[in-house]
Amino acid sequence: MKRAAAVMLVVARIALGILAIGGVAGAEETKMVGVITKIDIAGKDAKTATVTLKDTKTEQEVDITVNDDLTLDKLKDHRIQDGDEIRCKYEVKDGKNVSTYFRKTAGC
Amino acid sequence: MRCAAMVASMLVALLHATAAAGEGHPGRAQIEQEGYKGPSTCEECHPGKAKEFLGTVHWKHASKVDNVENLDPKVEYGMKNRIYTMCNGNDVVNNLKEIPKNASGKSKFTGCNTCHPGNHLSDVGSSGPEAEAAIDCLICHSTDYDFRRRKPFKDEKGRVVMGQDRSTKAALAIGKPTARNCMACHEAAGGGVLVKRGFAFNKDTDVHAAKGMVCVDCHKAQNHRIPTGFDPNNWANDGLRVACLDCHGDKPHKSADYNRHVAKIACQTCHIPRTGGAVAKDFTVWEQGADKFYEPTTLKKDANETAPVYAWYDKTVRNEPHFIGPRGSRNDGKSKIYPFKIYMGKAFYDAKTGQLLSMDFAPPMASGDTRAGVESAARTLGMKDPAAVAKNAVPGWQTVYFGSDHLVTKSKALNCVNCHGVNGVINFKALGYSDAEVEKLTNPEIYFKQLVEKQKEEW
Repeated sequence: MKRAAAVMLVVARIALGILAIGGVAGAEETKMVGVITKIDIAGKDAKTATVTLKDTKTEQEVDITVNDDLTLDKLKDHRIQDGDEIRCKYEVKDGKNVSTYFRKTAGC
Repeated sequence: MRCAAMVASMLVALLHATAAAGEGHPGRAQIEQEGYKGPSTCEECHPGKAKEFLGTVHWKHASKVDNVENLDPKVEYGMKNRIYTMCNGNDVVNNLKEIPKNASGKSKFTGCNTCHPGNHLSDVGSSGPEAEAAIDCLICHSTDYDFRRRKPFKDEKGRVVMGQDRSTKAALAIGKPTARNCMACHEAAGGGVLVKRGFAFNKDTDVHAAKGMVCVDCHKAQNHRIPTGFDPNNWANDGLRVACLDCHGDKPHKSADYNRHVAKIACQTCHIPRTGGAVAKDFTVWEQGADKFYEPTTLKKDANETAPVYAWYDKTVRNEPHFIGPRGSRNDGKSKIYPFKIYMGKAFYDAKTGQLLSMDFAPPMASGDTRAGVESAARTLGMKDPAAVAKNAVPGWQTVYFGSDHLVTKSKALNCVNCHGVNGVINFKALGYSDAEVEKLTNPEIYFKQLVEKQKEEW
């Protein structure tokens, strides 16, 4: 009985390990450069925003969820605005493309 | 009696605090009633401030420089006129303008002085009443500035004007500059976000930001003059300096051993173990982007992504066509070991003089023709035969040591082993120590007991 439980425990650990690896693989970052076609942000106190980027290579539109304070701040005061070209990395979480890197390509 | 006086003074203070909390910046009611009219509105309570601001580096983009070799002490240097390879243009040769159309038939406005806090009609270094009226006070002082309004456009006379947000809404959100105000310009210098300086100032990257401090808590302005450090590549200054020791004193650690280091090791060396930003750029070859405009080919790195190089620095600067960096030595009695971000830039050099040439970005941005940019800049500067200068220009590399003064950490600061371990980050040999000294400096004898004690404390 003890042995069976031990075997079960090992099997469970392996299964969890596989799931964990799968989880990591699922959270892989995608990189893209795109132009902002739409910004959806609910006012000054918004904790999230959805920015639509038109991929410069594929011309497909991708909705990006932005949650980080620094980028949200730039969206709120329009330092980042429609027409800006963005270099972006995102991970798919719960069906959403959540930004991990969101910067204007242009500088001064 | 004393008690009554104390209560009374507390009540007065409370009333003031309540008033301040309720109304915000004094004069709010007047701004709400009359609207914001630019610096003249600010001047009603802060007379003379506009004129004062025109004398600062933020307006002039230049100052006299006394710690850099090969400069004329009578001339002012800075973004206005410098030629180096992080920004191969400057305010003079790469003035804000509408550039020629690119392959897609599109044009855009660009220039080094886009961050200048004027309206471009009153530009870098201008003076007089018109310049005073052109100051964009709110870009530094408002927390509700709408950057959609700060865009260049052509006026009815065809002149390029930089727009400003002079709305009442923005004016009602005035105060001491926040980190966001400063970083709006300083973050994107050199051709993109974190390209030049390579540091983000937020709670994750800097211990001061994590404590809620803002830029001007250290760079404490005096009459709009901002104290700066001694970055070998940041020449213009307002005559005021800032240093870690100003706040932390010369015995900042509990450990006497660490405090002994302060005499020869700059705080930054241990407390800023990483750097960031572009490590190399090629101004002789520009890459075309998706928008069909060209940009200098740039190797970018994020904040904390690169390791610094350590060198002795006496706060004076070696300035040569192929090198800008620290002077100093182990034995001069003045130098300390500092960390630097090393950057290398490729650009065109004058075939006759060997001097670095500057570039007007308008031609290469539209067509990728970098020599056309050199020719345009040579013409602007009044050089003889600009076409020949550009045709004969020779590509070459310049090494620049940038000061590494942000991304400050306490928890990840270098400890004894990080430097004194055999494979430590400090190259003692390169810093002028003999083989025998290096052997001693990298022997555990130097730190073993202390770290064992610390280990015991931690566990």
